[in-house]
Amino acid sequence: MSQRNVTQWLIHHAAQHAPESLAARLEEEWLADLGARPSGFSRLCFAIGCCWATQVIAHEHQPSRVAVSSPALAGKAAIAYADQNFTFISLRSSTFFLVVSLHVVLIYGFMSALSHTRKSAIPDPLQNQDLPRSHPDALPPPLPTPDLKHVPIEVPNIETNLTYAPDPDGGVTTESAHEPSPPAPPMPSTPHAAKRIAGGPGAGFPDTADFYPSLSIHLGEQGISTVRVCVDAKGRLTADPTTLTSSGSARLDDGALKLARAGSGHYRAATEDGQPVSSCYPLGIRFQLKN
Amino acid sequence: MGKKDANVRMSLQTLKVLETFLENPTEQLAGAEVHQRCGIASGTLYPILLRLESAGWFVSQWESIDPSTAGRPRRRLYRLTSTGLRRASEVFASFNRGVLA
Repeated sequence: MSQRNVTQWLIHHAAQHAPESLAARLEEEWLADLGARPSGFSRLCFAIGCCWATQVIAHEHQPSRVAVSSPALAGKAAIAYADQNFTFISLRSSTFFLVVSLHVVLIYGFMSALSHTRKSAIPDPLQNQDLPRSHPDALPPPLPTPDLKHVPIEVPNIETNLTYAPDPDGGVTTESAHEPSPPAPPMPSTPHAAKRIAGGPGAGFPDTADFYPSLSIHLGEQGISTVRVCVDAKGRLTADPTTLTSSGSARLDDGALKLARAGSGHYRAATEDGQPVSSCYPLGIRFQLKN
Repeated sequence: MGKKDANVRMSLQTLKVLETFLENPTEQLAGAEVHQRCGIASGTLYPILLRLESAGWFVSQWESIDPSTAGRPRRRLYRLTSTGLRRASEVFASFNRGVLA
């Protein structure tokens, strides 16, 4: 049922309860005035008001209010008036109590909703709860044994005619040591042997102290970690450094790798016949505490 | 105050209705127009209009239109009678003197 139908039904209902002489007139009049209302809400208010108006009009048009000409009817009219007056008072009283009751219900509902919201907003206090113990002695099931197959890999023999010469500078700083290359075996006489000079830390290479792990300093850990670095002709790393030999401390090894990474671009490239070339070589980094 | 006048209670809403009609005593107003001018709700307005009509202060008649042609129901138009005009004027005059009629 649409709102317009509701309002029209309310007006029709109200008019039916008006005095018979006024019912048709009031219904037509109110329906006409209903159309002048701009909004649905005002039409609804108008229709509800008509219901109330009907009660007032019915009360004011009671037969007892008509002048009684016959004294014989006066008593009956008085009784009727008293009875209907009582009814009217009851109606007003019941309406009053109905309105009061609605207010009470609304206030109670509002307070209940607020109380519920407040309860929801306050978190429950923390309580300890003993969780059932899992079986600490029960060991997890063993992992399935992987089916590994040994596949021999054939590594081709690469013959080179490069000769290695120790770096006169050694590529060693005060705190980092370059692992010396094994002495090159005497090469047979060849028409030309390239003169190779191994690379190492160059100018601007980071200070080892900056990468000394603080926990290692606190624990007094010292050692030499050897990392493998691959450097291009411009002294930049071409691959991520890897640990060749451990210092005995994972922290120092990690610090050495970080130092080797940070030194990218500051390596001195290896040279062959004076020309810088890419190469990979071990780099020893010494972590030593200074007293 | 005559017999019919005895039914008229001079409430604030009744005075507002009378004041609305006194602005142009010859004008005929429907209930909706009275509501727009003085803002009295329908539950109060129509009993007052009927009360004043029963007291002889107002007369009412249907609007002279054809509802089927106009596309809307005809309105009930109220107008002050000469008695109503006189009595309403007396009421407001007594207010000016500070005494309610």
